[in-house]
Amino acid sequence: MASKKVQEDRDAFKRYKEDVKKEGKPFFPYAIFHDTVMSFVVVAVIIGLAVIWKFTVDDGQPGALGPLYEKEADPGTTNFIPRPDWFFYFLFYLLRIFKWPESVVLGTVGIPTLLLILLIMLPFYDRRPERLLLRRPVAFVAAILVVISMGVLTWKGATAKEGSEAVGEVPTWAKEQGFADNAVAVEVATLFAESGCLNCHVYLGAGGQNLGAPELTEEGLKNRGIEWQVAHLKNPSSKVPGSPMPSFADLGDENLTKIATFLEASKGPQK
Amino acid sequence: MSDGTDNHDQAPGSSLWPIGFAIGIACILVGLVISWPAAVLGAAVTIVFGVLWIRDAARSHAPVDSAPAHALVDGTPSEAQLAAEEQHLETYGRAGFLTLATIGLGGVIGAGVVLPSLGFAVLPSFTGEGIETNPVDLGPISNFPEGTFVITSFTGSKRQGDVSRRTAYIRNNGLSAEKEPSFTIIYSRCVHLGCPIQPNGPAFKDQAKTYKDVTLTPVKPAGFGCPCHGGAYDTEGNRTAGPPVRSLDRYAFSVADGNLILGDHFSVGTVAGTAADAVMTRYPVAYPGVHVDGIERFLYPLPVPGAGA
Amino acid sequence: MAKSARQAQIEKAALYPLDWTEERTGLVGYTKWFLFRNVPRDVNWMQTLGAATLTAFIVQATTGVFLAMYYKPDPDSAYASIQNITNEVTLGWLVRGMHKWGASLFIILMFLHMARTFMFGAYKYPRELNWITGVILLVMGMAEGFTGYLLPWDQTAYWATVVGININATAPIAGPFIAQFLQGGAQIGPDTLSKFYSLHMLVIPGGIMALIGLHMYLVIRLGVTSPPWSPTAAGRPRDEGEEPQGYGAYREGLIREHEEDKAS
Repeated sequence: MASKKVQEDRDAFKRYKEDVKKEGKPFFPYAIFHDTVMSFVVVAVIIGLAVIWKFTVDDGQPGALGPLYEKEADPGTTNFIPRPDWFFYFLFYLLRIFKWPESVVLGTVGIPTLLLILLIMLPFYDRRPERLLLRRPVAFVAAILVVISMGVLTWKGATAKEGSEAVGEVPTWAKEQGFADNAVAVEVATLFAESGCLNCHVYLGAGGQNLGAPELTEEGLKNRGIEWQVAHLKNPSSKVPGSPMPSFADLGDENLTKIATFLEASKGPQK
Repeated sequence: MSDGTDNHDQAPGSSLWPIGFAIGIACILVGLVISWPAAVLGAAVTIVFGVLWIRDAARSHAPVDSAPAHALVDGTPSEAQLAAEEQHLETYGRAGFLTLATIGLGGVIGAGVVLPSLGFAVLPSFTGEGIETNPVDLGPISNFPEGTFVITSFTGSKRQGDVSRRTAYIRNNGLSAEKEPSFTIIYSRCVHLGCPIQPNGPAFKDQAKTYKDVTLTPVKPAGFGCPCHGGAYDTEGNRTAGPPVRSLDRYAFSVADGNLILGDHFSVGTVAGTAADAVMTRYPVAYPGVHVDGIERFLYPLPVPGAGA
Repeated sequence: MAKSARQAQIEKAALYPLDWTEERTGLVGYTKWFLFRNVPRDVNWMQTLGAATLTAFIVQATTGVFLAMYYKPDPDSAYASIQNITNEVTLGWLVRGMHKWGASLFIILMFLHMARTFMFGAYKYPRELNWITGVILLVMGMAEGFTGYLLPWDQTAYWATVVGININATAPIAGPFIAQFLQGGAQIGPDTLSKFYSLHMLVIPGGIMALIGLHMYLVIRLGVTSPPWSPTAAGRPRDEGEEPQGYGAYREGLIREHEEDKAS
């Protein structure tokens, strides 16, 4: 003897079958027409994207939809910044969030596996016959949360800038901070950009944002002096007790002085 | 009653099949030691007697035997009924045998096709095939100025070519306390998820050298950073920030005829001390993201065969 | 209108091949069963997303077959063969472009189709297995994306694959074994590319096609749901008190429900 719920489900489905038989319309040609229109749109969009991708490429310069191909794979590279295909951006950013060694396995395997199990088992824990989304408050809230979090993670993943990408930002800085004509300043800015400061710090919007290191854009306004900066770079905790920043002494005095000068000169965008 | 005679004929035989089966098995075992034709013969004997045995077993499990007795005790079922029932039972018995045989044979066919293919698809990954242990010659030690890191890119395996291109950050530490040459050789893959780490400091591209297909670029890093998920390391490869689960992998080395020869690749937990005085435990190469020490190492209890030295 | 003898003869001649096929295969009957089944009268545009996803998959399968004619799954020549397809082979850029962008569209459409199913509550009894096959198809589609991403053998391809494989390696206990199986050895090497190629164009698509068949069979067998907000949704509850059987005077029920909706 089937339970009450099973019996109700079966009755509802029997009603559905009878309704479709009595009131329904034939799939061909009524529904299949809509399907075909939609399929046409899909194919048109695909061909359109391929055409835009190809014909906006100008003499090797990437077009509106990116380059035709990247550089050939180099397993020994030291300056390439790996990024996944766009639909894995959410996972990519999830991995950046789990920035503690103990939690790596949560981001890589734990959470994705858990979500996948929740997704695949959905029909077995959401068993009420109600189908209208507004009368399914839990499902409604869960759906909104999933859409928002996937959207945010994908967006953050797409826009994540790495410290070492900062070298490409130097001309922008030169313009904003007004030192574009000063060759020495540009060289020093490049040194600053390639020394990995921006793995943790932020400078004019570029750099690592999830380690909680102070922003350096207006470091010069603190007027700490070049000597303080050099000493701090050599041994951060001597100037800021308890600082988690590693020593940069290996760069050598000459480079450290340059970076300190650059920091002291950084007084925010000149606008 | 043909069925009855049939049963009678096979009754003594049924006790023989297991014996033949056992002889076949013995033949296989002896054949495996002595010569393979004997093993094949044994296998054939085993299969023949095995089939006969199964056939017999299937027959005896069907309620054929009880039917005549039943008929005798209960008196007088009509002859037609009896014949129909026997025919039915006979069919049932054969159906049981055929079902068993079909499933069994199907299983053998499936195993015969799937197992070798699956083995072929899976096993070569774990036999260590394709791992080359020829040492890589990185050129004269004089190319490695003391106290400076050199970005060294080399081809790990001549046979595989560019796909085995690797990079190591090599620092000549001078002579150790025991007057031995000392090098810090750090592998360029992040131990979070394997991205190519970058030196945090200026590279001197104008001082770059080459030796055969090895490129050597001096660099002055304050540490190393990973461009994927923000891992950061100091110049000994210890983690300073971000998600890396251990210190950067290293290579062993040797010196022959004044040339630096790359040795085994190994993983390390944490490095104590610096440069020539660095102390660390060597672990077999582990995948990035895999803990080699601490409590988390129990998440990865089984060593992977063929994972390389 | 009475048909002339000649018309009837022509019609018979035209239909003869169909009758011939039907007599021997029964396929015409199956096609009719597929095409002339009823669907609820209130299905809407959102319910074309499944067909759109299927179309995107067919585009991928077709363009993929032809790309395979020029692509070389070997680390030494893969990159050059991609360049060759894009620059030299006539219309190669179009076929590769369609495959590349079709892949993204396929993934987007799968997600939208799933969102639609969720919104309509269409995974509930008796359509649980539609949902499960659908989720497996989504996972396999993303696996197609992952394996296909390596094939151009460019920098993004190589390093995304390194990270992807190592993500698998972090799974407790079995992880390193999975990673080693995926890359066919201790390192990403020549065998990795051909393994991914085989997975990308034979193993996973084979599975996807079989599952699409099952998925569509279930959809046709169980029918398409009406939008849940539709007042004339197929299978809507009837007023049990007045109509114990529920189906007899369905038109009256229809009218009454309209009024109830207006009142509430």
